[in-house]
Amino acid sequence: MTWPVADLDAIRRLRALAAAVPGAFVAETTLDAPFDQVWAVAADLEHELPAYLPDVRTFTITARDGERLQADARGYAGLRARFDIVLRPGWCVMRSRFLLGGLAAAPDGQRTRLAFLGAVHIPAQQAAAPALAAIGRWAGPRVLARFASRVHQRDPGPPAT
Amino acid sequence: MGEGERLAGLVRAAQRGDGLAMAELVDALAPAVGRWCGPIALQEAEDAAQEALIAILRGLRGLRDPAALFGWARAIAVREAVRVARRAGREQPAELADVPAPGDPQLAADIRDVLGRLAPEHRAVLMLRDLEGLDERSSAAVLDIPAGTVKSRLARARASFRKEWQA
Repeated sequence: MTWPVADLDAIRRLRALAAAVPGAFVAETTLDAPFDQVWAVAADLEHELPAYLPDVRTFTITARDGERLQADARGYAGLRARFDIVLRPGWCVMRSRFLLGGLAAAPDGQRTRLAFLGAVHIPAQQAAAPALAAIGRWAGPRVLARFASRVHQRDPGPPAT
Repeated sequence: MGEGERLAGLVRAAQRGDGLAMAELVDALAPAVGRWCGPIALQEAEDAAQEALIAILRGLRGLRDPAALFGWARAIAVREAVRVARRAGREQPAELADVPAPGDPQLAADIRDVLGRLAPEHRAVLMLRDLEGLDERSSAAVLDIPAGTVKSRLARARASFRKEWQA
């Protein structure tokens, strides 16, 4: 006897996380590229994250233990933050003292659904949540557009014949 | 550190607003939430599981005993799944709103067909009893109804189910 089971894919998990974190936003898109090509960009945090997050100048992995990583991020304004990260295929969540970020991907045939989460931890966060969400609605699609551009730059093209 | 201790630590950190701990709880809970919501919400199972996970995460601050995480989350997930299934309302059965007895051959033959002919509340009873192994008293606590109600519903339902199945 096999009971029906609901599949909570990575996109739905990230949506749930965003819905529960005050001020968090989540932006979603579908990329015209296979999952492996998309996740190659997401997983290459040191090289790719500064390319699609405009405020990040460098992102250096300082420790790695299986799925758990630590990284040192530096911004253009001289800001510096240490991130704790969980990274595996289709799922990446990172947290610093003031920021929470996430990426989730799920294959959709030959295409890939991608979601990006952002949240800021600040005092009086509940009161600021609507404003933060509004910023997210503006910023989220732009981050995804930059991410898509990085994916297409990695496009291997058709195999040589 | 044992798994229970790790989860309790994650609950306490998530209650303090740690988003990474919340994400790790999502990982820990998602398979169980999918298992609880699937038999109750059927076609709406994925939506129900997502709604349940949101309700669980939003309610975490109210969880006093982190060791009770899964039992507490199960009650929320079952209620959310019933709510989503009722809202969808597409697969209301029916004339057959009864729960088959444990070991009924129809259950083994096609559990999805049986579930599809039950009301969401009865699917919840069936899942809690046959999948989760709860007795009537515990099922009643999860569903927030008197134990006697579960017991009498089950008794009536078993007889009625057999009658319909054999007709």
